[in-house]
Amino acid sequence: MAKLLYEWDYSSYPGAKAYPNLFKPIDIGNLTVPNRIKYAATEENLNARDGFVTDSGVEYMRWRGRGVVGGLCFMQGVYMDEAAKGQGYVGQAGAWHDKYVPGLARIAEAIHAEKAVAGFQLMDCGRVGAVEVPEGHGPSTVPQRLRVFKPMKEMTNAEVKEMVKQHVDAARRGVEAGFDIMEISGIVGYLISNFISSYTNRRTDEYGGDIRGRMQSVVEIIQGVKDVCGPDIPVGIRLCSEELLDDVRGNTPEESMETYKIAEEAGVDYISVTLGWQESIYPVISRDIPMGNWTHLAKRAKENVKVPIQMAYRLFKPGLPDELIGKNELDIWEMCRPMIADPLMPKKVLEGKEDEIRHCVACNLCLARLFRDAPMTCYINPVCAHEAEPVFVAPPKADDEKEILIVGAGPAGLECAYVAAQRGHEVTVYDKRDEIGGTLNEAQNAPYGDDELWTCIDYQKVMCEKAGVEFKLGTEVTDDIIEDEMPDSVVLATGPVYTDIQGNDKVKVVNVLDVLGGRAQVGKKVVVWGNRKPGIGVSLHLAQKGVKTTLIGREKTAGFDVNPSFKWRYMIYLRQNGVMAYNDCMIEEVTETGIIVKTYDGYRFPVECDTIVLSDRQANESLKKTVQSEGIELFVVGDALVPRNLSSAVHDGYRIGMRI
Amino acid sequence: MSFDAEKEISKLWRNLHSAQAEIGKTYYRWRQVALEIAGPDADPREIGLKAAYVIGKDVGKGLLPRLNWLKGEEGFMMMLGRSLAGLWNVEGAQAMAEKGEKPGEVFIKCARDPWPTYAKEFDVPMEEVAACREKMFQSILEDVSVFFNIPLNIELEKAIPRGEGMWVLRLYKAE
Repeated sequence: MAKLLYEWDYSSYPGAKAYPNLFKPIDIGNLTVPNRIKYAATEENLNARDGFVTDSGVEYMRWRGRGVVGGLCFMQGVYMDEAAKGQGYVGQAGAWHDKYVPGLARIAEAIHAEKAVAGFQLMDCGRVGAVEVPEGHGPSTVPQRLRVFKPMKEMTNAEVKEMVKQHVDAARRGVEAGFDIMEISGIVGYLISNFISSYTNRRTDEYGGDIRGRMQSVVEIIQGVKDVCGPDIPVGIRLCSEELLDDVRGNTPEESMETYKIAEEAGVDYISVTLGWQESIYPVISRDIPMGNWTHLAKRAKENVKVPIQMAYRLFKPGLPDELIGKNELDIWEMCRPMIADPLMPKKVLEGKEDEIRHCVACNLCLARLFRDAPMTCYINPVCAHEAEPVFVAPPKADDEKEILIVGAGPAGLECAYVAAQRGHEVTVYDKRDEIGGTLNEAQNAPYGDDELWTCIDYQKVMCEKAGVEFKLGTEVTDDIIEDEMPDSVVLATGPVYTDIQGNDKVKVVNVLDVLGGRAQVGKKVVVWGNRKPGIGVSLHLAQKGVKTTLIGREKTAGFDVNPSFKWRYMIYLRQNGVMAYNDCMIEEVTETGIIVKTYDGYRFPVECDTIVLSDRQANESLKKTVQSEGIELFVVGDALVPRNLSSAVHDGYRIGMRI
Repeated sequence: MSFDAEKEISKLWRNLHSAQAEIGKTYYRWRQVALEIAGPDADPREIGLKAAYVIGKDVGKGLLPRLNWLKGEEGFMMMLGRSLAGLWNVEGAQAMAEKGEKPGEVFIKCARDPWPTYAKEFDVPMEEVAACREKMFQSILEDVSVFFNIPLNIELEKAIPRGEGMWVLRLYKAE
């Protein structure tokens, strides 16, 4: 009889009726988990640099524990060697000594306080490790493909055996800290996957050779960890179902499936299906990959092993995983990023509040920050990593209730509006458009998944309605309106203004929003002026329609405002779509046949075009003087303050909503 | 303002060639510095070869993200050969990669190389120039060989100390 840690009765909740497969129990080893939801272990760089757990880390996990409503909640993977070669993130939790147990116990207790199953993960970062030391360790000395990672040194046979022992010792500490389920991380280029892959394992001892040899250390780890966990604590592993390393002679998919079978033989109680490596040239989880793109891999895993199968990877909404579980093609729905964007996401699903979910937009900013030694943040969730700060989590009621006039119903204005209204202010949002959303109305039409950005507006709309925000759409705010209304505070969220081309009467000029919105026609040869994200979006939009497009801008690289984890995708798409990009340039002159481009160092060359699309933006100064001259408290947010991106708009709006 | 293409291109070309020449000469200026610091007992050729090795190792790391195995061994060898020729071209040479007769064999041929001319200004023996070119390419291949788990080698078959004729290097999979 499997053990149930906490009783949960979902029968009265609407989400359990809508998604019956998600909210039914499952046995993993000798443990019964009340539902099929898992927050998968994710680094967040919130711990101290010496590996000790902090209040921020504990509260971060408490919220995710609350979110899984009785399901599995895994803390980040811990590194296990004193030399810190296995440490891949400056804020990664350590478990190489018993001194860490009390801190780890705080995380287990926080998850248990939410009646969820607390998961502990063992993660030596291997090839991606050694963040604080000059040299990493691995099965073989294969040079790094990406210079950001440290040089590797081949482990001796004795060091491999010591590494196995470190896993077992760390697992024991996890058990002592009170965790209920144990997981070994064998994904995306970390040490376990280094041993498994033909790309990085060239050993000739018992830990190398064919796939069984390359799995030998993993088998020893599984067996050792099982021994210390005993019968009541299940042990699982995250394993690559496809490495996507065929360009560097990595494992075949058949070999990867063989690893699943070997892990099952060794005694694992479940397998989490993963995909790709940090070094892989293929995208796996970014917004340009359709939702549900990888579900066939979970199905294949189910066909090869009998233990429960878990999977994340572009499964952001409950419908598809519910369906897959119903068809026996998946057992547990894993999530990382969806619960970074909204830690209570599954709880809201259960409670029938899906419209209140702040959806992840798959930008990967969270991951980009981790590799730059910065604490976790979320593009779309301003509260992420501030869970230990009450002022962020639940902004307090305002001391003085104010009448607030917000100009602009884009993401910055809407975010500010509902937060301020929740705090007791009387908020009215004006917009000259007839609909909310601001420039996202058009920006969502850019290709490669930008339609997902609109989920931000859907969320904000619901939050505004629930907070009692009043809207006056189709109304352009003038000096007269401000003088008549005389609010206590004005928030300018008017969006940017677009830089025009001076002295041009020869070539047609249109605005990026009109092009993306389908209101402006362009010719056959187009120059897009402005090489930040809006320029890239409209360039790809036009190029896909067969328009010869040239992207020109003053930034040193195109996509300066796009985070590095996504920018590389845009660079490839620009190339694939034949968009020529000239960076660090100005438009010096418009001629009868096009433009003259001037580079930063003074070279000049012509580019033929019949249309110029303006996407270069500047701060918006309109209405500022009027508001200030009336002595009204003024705030400027989003692109009106400094043209940036959706994330900045949301974060600006939230913070001003907290302050006002 | 009218656009004068000839003027713009000639300015760009002139500056490119000046930059290439300065980079080449600066390499030999640094060689002078190294020799002075190393003292009279140092072997200049040994210092040159060490420099070529260090440069090649770093250049090789930069190649790793750009190479891939997807087109198989033949395609990979040509891709690598073209990369080496391309590196030489950036330095002002006129080099190309040609498929050899044996499987996986690629010849890198260079019809024009400005480096012997820079070297002459600094009294560097032409034998050293040729040996350093070979050493640099060999050290580029070091990490590439380990990374792709394929033993690679490159050998200088013919050098042109004064820019006449053709440099020839043979790139091949070592047994």
